[in-house]
Amino acid sequence: MIDDKALLSDYLSESEELLESLLADLDSLASTSADSPDTNVVNRAFRTVHSLKGLSGMMGLVEVQMLAHDFEDILDDLRLGQVSLNERTSAALQEAGAGLAALVGGAARGSASDEDFERLHQLLTSIGLQSRERVKREDSALELLNLSDRERDLVTDYEEHRVNENVRAGRSFYGIGVTFEIGKLDTQYRALCAALEAAGELITTLPAKTTEPSLVAFKLVFATALKETDVKRITGPFGGRVTRLERSTWRKAGAALRAAGRMMPGRNANSREASGRLDALLPPGFAQESLQPLSPSVRVEMAQIDELSGLAHELSIGVEKLTAMAEEFLGAANLGARERFDLRFSARRMKREFLELEERLVELRMVSLAQTFTRAARLAGRLARELGKSVSVEVSGRETQLDKAIVDRIADSIYHILRNAVDHGLEPPEERRIAGKKARGKIKLEAALEGTRAVISITDDGRGIDQAEVRRRAIEAGLIAQDEVLTEEETLRMILRPGFSTAGQVSAVSGRGVGLDAVERTIYELGGELRISSEKGSSTRFDLAVPTTLVMMSAFIVRASGWRYAANVAQIIELLYLSHEDILGRDGKRSISWRGKTIPVIELGFALGLGGARLLHTASHHNGDERKGPATDTLKVPVLITSAADKHVAVAVEQFDEQREIIVKSLGSIGRRLKGVVGAVDLEGGDVALVLDMPSLLLLRSTRL
Amino acid sequence: MSKSKNDRNTARRSVAPLPMEFGSAEVDEKNELVSVLVFQIGGAAYSIGVEHTEGVVDCPRITPVPNPPDGVSGIASVRGRMTVVMNLGSNGSTEHPRQRLILIKGDAQLGLLADRVEGVRALERNKVRPVAHGKDSLTRQRARFDWPARSYFKGNGARVPILDIERLSET
Repeated sequence: MIDDKALLSDYLSESEELLESLLADLDSLASTSADSPDTNVVNRAFRTVHSLKGLSGMMGLVEVQMLAHDFEDILDDLRLGQVSLNERTSAALQEAGAGLAALVGGAARGSASDEDFERLHQLLTSIGLQSRERVKREDSALELLNLSDRERDLVTDYEEHRVNENVRAGRSFYGIGVTFEIGKLDTQYRALCAALEAAGELITTLPAKTTEPSLVAFKLVFATALKETDVKRITGPFGGRVTRLERSTWRKAGAALRAAGRMMPGRNANSREASGRLDALLPPGFAQESLQPLSPSVRVEMAQIDELSGLAHELSIGVEKLTAMAEEFLGAANLGARERFDLRFSARRMKREFLELEERLVELRMVSLAQTFTRAARLAGRLARELGKSVSVEVSGRETQLDKAIVDRIADSIYHILRNAVDHGLEPPEERRIAGKKARGKIKLEAALEGTRAVISITDDGRGIDQAEVRRRAIEAGLIAQDEVLTEEETLRMILRPGFSTAGQVSAVSGRGVGLDAVERTIYELGGELRISSEKGSSTRFDLAVPTTLVMMSAFIVRASGWRYAANVAQIIELLYLSHEDILGRDGKRSISWRGKTIPVIELGFALGLGGARLLHTASHHNGDERKGPATDTLKVPVLITSAADKHVAVAVEQFDEQREIIVKSLGSIGRRLKGVVGAVDLEGGDVALVLDMPSLLLLRSTRL
Repeated sequence: MSKSKNDRNTARRSVAPLPMEFGSAEVDEKNELVSVLVFQIGGAAYSIGVEHTEGVVDCPRITPVPNPPDGVSGIASVRGRMTVVMNLGSNGSTEHPRQRLILIKGDAQLGLLADRVEGVRALERNKVRPVAHGKDSLTRQRARFDWPARSYFKGNGARVPILDIERLSET
């Protein structure tokens, strides 16, 4: 368990990335020819598991480290061609990968049970046993190296594994004793490591004794295909003392390992060839790089990007104001043509760059569908196996990019539809054969951009949706009248109605409606659309059309001129109720006193161009002499304080509604040209509220401020 | 058989359900026909190439927008998407009991308000006349039809413009 929250978060995000890469590779292995697995893919999977092992070890998650170690062994054997990959093994590997993925989070949070670990351990062991006769780990070649017990204790599991690997590769082992002055330690040690790594593998650096306090001594364990004289030549400039580390029993033990089928051809006979083969398998610097994060990216919380976006937006409004001022100055000031051009040019360029900045920030939120599709395809494969069906999942468009929040929200919907496709869409193999289809069902998972939307399609070549049956069920469930005429599309959409599938089980359509209403609601809330098409007997297709970008915000819903509007909470400084005494001045120049300052007050309906200052007029009309009764004494005008171009403004509304989290839907290319409005949100009862951008809305009416 | 005449008559009679699928190709290569969706708003007839359309729905409540561009009545939520509702009617505020909204494909998320959708009409290519030869500037187009149109056809003695959706989206 990792207690430090920041460390936990780092570990989880890094391991998630590793696991996704591993799972994708295992899927890829399962889908390619069993006889010739792609060595690049196997190597990558191996390195990924190895990195996960290292990462978990660093965090003290011993169980995960051990499991990753077992996994690594299996992949290692695969990598070295000691194991052949069949359909069963690759499916088991996928299972094990998914198991490991499921376990990592629990292990890091301390919620995984011993049984969970044991189950995965058993699975990995069974894969190992299935594939080969294993040489017991106790036969580690480490025992054969001439190291003291103390030194041997310092060797990590990983380093021990590397020793074994190098034995298999037929390399020789050398101990290199070095002594450095403390002041020069850093540079000299690094230079020696670099020289050694270019010629072999530096397995470990062990501390050694020295009597001189200003010196530091080490013993480096180095494996290489080079001869002792060559090693001495490399280490000579550093004053290295080179010794062979193999014990006299080495040759005998090596022969035993070879006999057990674990070793590459012996180093004496073919050492050059053996190391050549290994080098071909491993990319240069593999051993040194494998513990490095796979991705060169920096992880950033979504909230930070949102904050940056907000800031950039505020700045861009400021720039807009500045540009307008520049234009005013151009008219008034006595400037030469050159100065005019420069000022105008700079202002425009700044405006354009801010726009680009905002767009780039939106792009930062975009992620591809690759992870979701990979998971979905794996899920479909596993479900099919569980149900005794066979399915091939064709994936395309995984590079399609969407806002991360959208991908996260639709993932379950995609899985849901896929489950339905496997469970209810695809017929069992024998039924398919009778229908003249291939026993193996096919599901296509596709994504493509369609304007500002991404369309994710899930198509199965199963039995299709029986429309007559749907109609009968809809009538039975009371969703439509007996004689109601429906188009094909309307009939199909019946399966999205809540309660459609609860009335009973009908083979052709059963289960299709379970939760599909929830899927449609999710898509709808995102500003998307779920479409269904189907041909009886041959296919069913679901299209999820969703926007590619999404803005979520905390909004305060207010009423003005009879309509509801959403104001960004981040743009509201304070909410208050004004009584008539608080409102000073007359039409067009009303103000209030707020926090010791006089600030303008403007009616939202007026700012929106929906009418004059009725509220304020009514309020101030009752100010003074014309008060007519007790009711007007209690007249309160709801006002929100916001700011535009560094000035505080009070905005009067008819009514405060409520605060809520909203998804801002785009208004399209025409909508982008509407000033003061950034989008709209669906409210209950089919109503729409415009989402306001207070500063730009108020700047439109700046003459009134 | 005089197929063209027959087709025209069929098309003219057709009201919902629409005989042709939305978004299907505009030109029937073999018969050289152009398919347009004909609708009425504020007493005037307009048409639009069916390939630009996504469907026709009953118009939901329209929310007004501040400082709307020409012809824009407001926003309506249709099929989960915010649609910018355009009213091409001359006075811009036709009150019809059950208005329809013609959904237009594309990034503009545009919907055209209609008092009545007459249906899809298949026109012979030679019946489609260009609005202006040479420079069909927006001004010249609008001078004739109020709204941008590159071509028109004659129906019931009046000229029915075939709207230029690209230009309309830039309005």
